[in-house]
Amino acid sequence: MNVRDLVVAMLPEHLLLAGIVVVIARDLLPGKPRDGFVPALAFLLLAAASAAFLSLIWYQGSPFPGQLSVTPSDLMAKAVILALAVPVLMLTRDDFADGRFPVLLLASLYGIGLILSADSFLTLFVGLELMSLPVYALVVLAFRGPPSAEAALKYLVLGGVASATLLMGAALIFGAGGSLSTAAFVAALGSPDAMAVAGAMLVLAAFFLKAAIVPFHAWAPDAYEGASVPATAFMAVIVKGGVLLAAVRLFAQAPLGGPVADLVAVLPLASIVWGNLAAMRQSSFRRMIAYSSIAHAGYLFYALLGEGAGRTQAVLFYVLAYGVMNVLAFAALPRRERDADADRIDSLRGLYSRAPFASLMIAVAMLSLAGIPPLPGFVAKFLIFKNVMEAGYTLYAVLGLVGSYLGIYFYLRVIQLMFMSAGEVDDGRGAPRRLMRSASLLSLGAALALMIFPGWFIALF
Amino acid sequence: MGDALLLDVVLFLPLAGVALLIALPSDREDSIRHASLAVMLVQFLLAGWLYLRFDAASDGLQFETRLPWIAAWGVYYQIGLDGYNVLLVLLTAFLGPLVVAGAFSAIRKDVKLFYGMVLLLQFAMVGTFVAQDLFLFYLFWETMLIPLFFIIGIWGGERRIYATFKFVLYTAFGSIVMLAAVIYLVYSLDATTGVTSFAFTDLYRARLPLATQVVLLTAFALSFAIKVPMVPLHTWLPDAHVEAPTAGSVVLAGVLLKMGTYGFMKLGFPLFPDAARLLAPVFGTLAVVSILYGACLALVQTDIKKIIAYSSISHLGYVMLGLISLDLIGIQGAIVQMVSHGLTAAGLFLMVGMIYERCHTRELAAYGGLAKALPVYSVFFMILTLASIGLPTTSGFTGEFLVLLGAFGASWQAAAQGDTLRLALAVAAVGGVVLGALYMLSFAGRFLFGAVKVPHGTQADLGFRESAILVAIVVAIFWLGLFPAEPLRKTELAAKAYQQLVMTARVPDAAKLAREERR
Repeated sequence: MNVRDLVVAMLPEHLLLAGIVVVIARDLLPGKPRDGFVPALAFLLLAAASAAFLSLIWYQGSPFPGQLSVTPSDLMAKAVILALAVPVLMLTRDDFADGRFPVLLLASLYGIGLILSADSFLTLFVGLELMSLPVYALVVLAFRGPPSAEAALKYLVLGGVASATLLMGAALIFGAGGSLSTAAFVAALGSPDAMAVAGAMLVLAAFFLKAAIVPFHAWAPDAYEGASVPATAFMAVIVKGGVLLAAVRLFAQAPLGGPVADLVAVLPLASIVWGNLAAMRQSSFRRMIAYSSIAHAGYLFYALLGEGAGRTQAVLFYVLAYGVMNVLAFAALPRRERDADADRIDSLRGLYSRAPFASLMIAVAMLSLAGIPPLPGFVAKFLIFKNVMEAGYTLYAVLGLVGSYLGIYFYLRVIQLMFMSAGEVDDGRGAPRRLMRSASLLSLGAALALMIFPGWFIALF
Repeated sequence: MGDALLLDVVLFLPLAGVALLIALPSDREDSIRHASLAVMLVQFLLAGWLYLRFDAASDGLQFETRLPWIAAWGVYYQIGLDGYNVLLVLLTAFLGPLVVAGAFSAIRKDVKLFYGMVLLLQFAMVGTFVAQDLFLFYLFWETMLIPLFFIIGIWGGERRIYATFKFVLYTAFGSIVMLAAVIYLVYSLDATTGVTSFAFTDLYRARLPLATQVVLLTAFALSFAIKVPMVPLHTWLPDAHVEAPTAGSVVLAGVLLKMGTYGFMKLGFPLFPDAARLLAPVFGTLAVVSILYGACLALVQTDIKKIIAYSSISHLGYVMLGLISLDLIGIQGAIVQMVSHGLTAAGLFLMVGMIYERCHTRELAAYGGLAKALPVYSVFFMILTLASIGLPTTSGFTGEFLVLLGAFGASWQAAAQGDTLRLALAVAAVGGVVLGALYMLSFAGRFLFGAVKVPHGTQADLGFRESAILVAIVVAIFWLGLFPAEPLRKTELAAKAYQQLVMTARVPDAAKLAREERR
């Protein structure tokens, strides 16, 4: 074990840990309670920058051989996730005055850092747990009565099931091949041994559960609706992105074939179709976003059908475009006295006359999520479907595209309510979020960059 | 070099206009209106300059810009003028200021957003015409939906939300199917020739088996035929036209419908020539059905906006007939007919908008004898009506006459060889001209003559702004009707290139494939 690697390879994680320590320490100091926002933001930015820097200097190392290693593309994935966490952290500023939210957020990000560099199922499991446990707390943190508790409990139980499934799968793979390394997963995929294949399927099912793929999706709408806006944004963007990137890393460019390919095609297709259909009927904004995120998880898993080398690129670009747009929508969403009011899609009626800037931002986000050009959601979708078609899955690509068509309606309906329907009178208490404008402008800037220079990002990933 | 940049300026000027509007405060509505008009006028002047400088004798792209955009996929930002698009770009730039000026008095709500959307739409439309890279084309093609969704949905009539959703969902469905075909096409070009490119010129060289061509052409045609629109995919059009504000109807009829026929001419047929020739009878039949069915529907409407909406279906049928005739004269006629319909339909929709602003009804039965009540209005209306019918000396005559000449010319030879379908189609298309005269003249007769009936009492005749808009359109109509030789010369090489592309077989060489397999 090389000390330099130990420091450098996990530099982003070390910085996150330092952030956690600093925020907690400041909380413990005597005097008035301090909010942990500024140090958390500073360390988060440092961590994101260090990951991006290490990736750009083409660093790779394995501080714990067999358990943990990083490559430039892993580091780029971390940089993207950490950068997306910046506007999410900014959203928490008003809801959570103390240091609890930033600490939980940084801890969860640490877990994502681990799963994005895990070489064995042990590290992967530890990382997944570290990622998920703080999120259970994040969901209840904005406790607003039974729905929040119910949401957190559902999420917790389903998360437990996912962990158990993963462990069972890892155990079967270990039993078949005698190895806990993630490389054994790829070997198990193509193995004639039924036990190994069953293990691989279970591992895949655990990822489907975490990413809310049909039929493992039912927890997501409840959890999203029960949680606060920043926690929902974190689950929809950061957790989902981290899980997908970890899945891509796990498949390690291995070509798919046989029953696994069918599984990776059929379930995500079902997610795309069902997510988009169910989203049409929702009256709660966060539930709608939950179903939309189920559909988007479908597109993301589609990327696994593509050729090995293009997968990471496609998923990274997609996660970035999708994440930026979700954060933009959540940042611009107006606040109300009662959270349940703000969450009603109907409360967006006539928003343009009350808050033109916010409604334009939400409109941009909706159009991009719908995948309408020239917004970045389109290029992201194009990249995935291009890879799928090039890998020979023409039928699935066409079906997926038609499935994505189903989603256009409910995104446009949000725009219709904001711009084309007469609104309620403003209750005047919808205090603007302090950092709402900066978070939305940050996301908008990223969206514009993705829109004007997609080639640059694609070359980078 | 400086010339190449000029086209970029024309393209991006409306976008700069949007930035300018954002900088203006929303309550200074008149400044917003004038700023938008100024931007559009400058764009028209520059586009006119480009048109004058366009060299009719030179084959290939002029004023071309080509920059790598998404290098990894072979996507280029490539724009340029050629015979295919030079007239359509001029038409789009010409209608821009008229649309803006026409909306001065009609749009009172959210003025800033409205003109922002109009400018955005202008950007996307010019972009669709000048794009020479399939990816870029698709991007602009779809971008058009966004501002139109807003324009119809916010400033439209009573059933505007239904109409705007119907329009967007219809066209988006076509687009998504086309997207699948685009990806497949580019991928197969890559797989067969090793070239990863979206450039039209590279894609024209793709060799695909006939069955693949048929499937891909069907996918492209679905998208284009919805835009044209061809019967039976036309049902979105009456709703969108009737509910849209005047500016929306004018842009829809004037420019947007031509996107469909332009798509067939630039992409659909030349990309899949063998399938196009195979399916020519189908497209020809649909075109003639559109001509006749659109005319019949126009005949029985009681809403004046609907009459013009259905007449558009009929007129665009001629364009399709000319394109699929593959006769040089017919193709030229189709191009002229596109521009001509852009002028007459835009003019008629503007005039309907003007009378609606005064009388607040579109029921034909509510009007009568406008020739006495509003003489200036009636003169312009009569000229546009006659141009729409295709009276000689107007642009409508040039277009329809050339299309029919081409359709007959091509079908004589076919009929001599025993294929009488094309002759029958050409004869039936002539029936459309008669029906066209019937519905437009009976419409104008009831509208302008007879006992004077003006809803809400006496109304003021056209003002200076309105007259100026109509004078511009009438001048353009007579220019194209009296001196068609000049514009036709500029499109001639493109028409020949199109004919050449569609006539040349491009299925893979079976013998060569077998040789390669043996190797």
